[in-house]
Amino acid sequence: MRVKSFFKKIGSSIVTKDIFEDKNLSRRLYKYFLTGLFIRLIFLPFLFQRDLLSTYQRAAETVFAGNFGSDFQQMLTNVIHSIYLFIIKSIFPAINKLSPVLLEKDTWISWISFNSSYNVFTALALFKILYLIFDVVCMFLILRLSFDSEPENKLRVFKFWMFNPFVIFILYVFARHDIIGILATLVALLLAKKNRKYWAIIVLAFGIALRFFPIMILPLFIFYLARTKKDYIILSVIGISGLAAVELFSYFYFGGSVIFSLLNAQHFDYILSSKLELVVHDRIFIFVAVYIIIILSFLHIRKKSFDIFLNYGAIIYLAYVSLCYFHPQYMLWTVPFLIIIFIRRKSLLYYHWIQFALLLIILIYWGDLVTKFVFAPIDHKFFVYLAGPIPIINLFYSPAKFVNIFRSIFTGVSLWMIYLIYKDNKKILADELKNKEN
Amino acid sequence: MKRISFAVKTIILVFLAVLILPLLAGCRGIFYIPGASYGYYIWEEDSKVFVEWSADRKDSKFDGRISTDGKITEYKLNEWEEENDVIKVGEDKIEFSATLDSQDYSDGFSFTLQDYTYLEFDLKMNDDYDLSRTNIGGFLENPEESVFKVEKGYFDQLKEKPWYRKHPFSEFFSKLFSNKYFTFVYLFILGIIIIEILRITVFISRRRKIIGLVISYAVLILVEICIYFILKFLIR
Repeated sequence: MRVKSFFKKIGSSIVTKDIFEDKNLSRRLYKYFLTGLFIRLIFLPFLFQRDLLSTYQRAAETVFAGNFGSDFQQMLTNVIHSIYLFIIKSIFPAINKLSPVLLEKDTWISWISFNSSYNVFTALALFKILYLIFDVVCMFLILRLSFDSEPENKLRVFKFWMFNPFVIFILYVFARHDIIGILATLVALLLAKKNRKYWAIIVLAFGIALRFFPIMILPLFIFYLARTKKDYIILSVIGISGLAAVELFSYFYFGGSVIFSLLNAQHFDYILSSKLELVVHDRIFIFVAVYIIIILSFLHIRKKSFDIFLNYGAIIYLAYVSLCYFHPQYMLWTVPFLIIIFIRRKSLLYYHWIQFALLLIILIYWGDLVTKFVFAPIDHKFFVYLAGPIPIINLFYSPAKFVNIFRSIFTGVSLWMIYLIYKDNKKILADELKNKEN
Repeated sequence: MKRISFAVKTIILVFLAVLILPLLAGCRGIFYIPGASYGYYIWEEDSKVFVEWSADRKDSKFDGRISTDGKITEYKLNEWEEENDVIKVGEDKIEFSATLDSQDYSDGFSFTLQDYTYLEFDLKMNDDYDLSRTNIGGFLENPEESVFKVEKGYFDQLKEKPWYRKHPFSEFFSKLFSNKYFTFVYLFILGIIIIEILRITVFISRRRKIIGLVISYAVLILVEICIYFILKFLIR
């Protein structure tokens, strides 16, 4: 009896009580979980984008060569990868055998050697299992993000995550590590939902130190959680403390500033990539202006519900990918927010799939590395010498124009999604007002 | 249910589209896209030997020599530009020099032979040898030496080469087999997931679920054994 209640408790804590206690719902959840897992595993050992190898090469520098500063711009992410690499190298000799490849400085030689090694599938599967672990944790956290006492909708949210094309593509085809930062953000969101304001901001600060991206929603957290003027100051200070800690550590340990290094990196320029040229030196960075409008509009909502807060998270990340140069993995940041909104506005789900189809076309212009080379583990020689999509398009039309037409459609679709979310905000506010009057 | 079947159809279509690409490269004598592919493409069709080259619309120079112990009886030029491209055809030798650019996607020629036992090729791209881009009879059927010989009957032998011995399948199967512990654990996990899905969807309504499960696991083990022998056969 005790054992039964123990497992019951565990089950409830994983899939939430209301789903666990409904046999039909828990069976459906299990079915979605298995099918989603199956799709993920199909891609796990066979495909990757070069950046995965670079990430593990930096971790190998730390683990095999003891160089702690191999990736000082993403220090915490490197620590996580290094610990994981240390564990898998201790368990699987295949990873140890790969150490010369991982420590090879020449990017082309290391890439060729990695792809041509006989155990490339094992290595890829092991490398990506780290992301699978984070993904699994995320999928069960997302269940708790919204729709309390609506288990059917919770289950739909779970389904949208399990079968989300961006999640599958970015984590298991592209193999990027953004899921680590997303997990921290999800934990922060859950804490914010439970009004644990300091813990929420502390975890978010950790997320910012992991992957800079959550800084975009830091003002939303502060405006949502702060109740007094003092709160605004304390939460702001805590919010940037993660980054400040990394900065201090890097200053004393490496003798250099990580923040200025990030600000001077091309990635920061992406934020400033869309601009209106005025006169002489005067220009307006469009995303910065739009971002301020979004933040101010959130600030001016008197009663900020948690759903509105999530909607604004989606708006910010959608605005970013609409207006700025971005890498495919940045799209992952929109997903946790969007899948909640899909329940209320089904049309957004279709637009999300359109976004994915468009992204696959936009990918073309990032070149061979993100297109045909993704398949290189299967047979690197075949995919290296196969004609790439750019030369084929170039036979008929300018590839840049071709891709940018689809890029513009992508922006149009994303901006339309923002409008739909804005309408959803208005509906939520109106419903809340109605409930209050009743 | 309808939507799920649509999603499944879409996945199958995408999967087939991905498969078509390597098949296109392997099913015909040789497949290349003028102006997008880069390298030499040599094949035989109706007793004619075709030598063509293509570049991805960049300025490129292709020159070389083909000689034989037999006799070259006739030749035909393909996409030849007299102002840039030069060819000298002797009784047992062809020498050529040609350029490609953003407007000129590919050049080539074909010829017939008599009483020969071999063909010797000395082919350069931009004054250098690039053997990985010299495809003889099939995509990625590359020579091992800069100046190489092709025996009579080579092209016919190549046509008999099965698909699983060609890129990318040969490499893929070879990696799967040489890494067999991983492959079989991986396939077993996939199998378990499928059986679990069957258990909660198909077997759940049956009275004797255990029989379905036992049969499924027996089938999975059989499939694994079959895959082992199939892979062994494919890479032998």
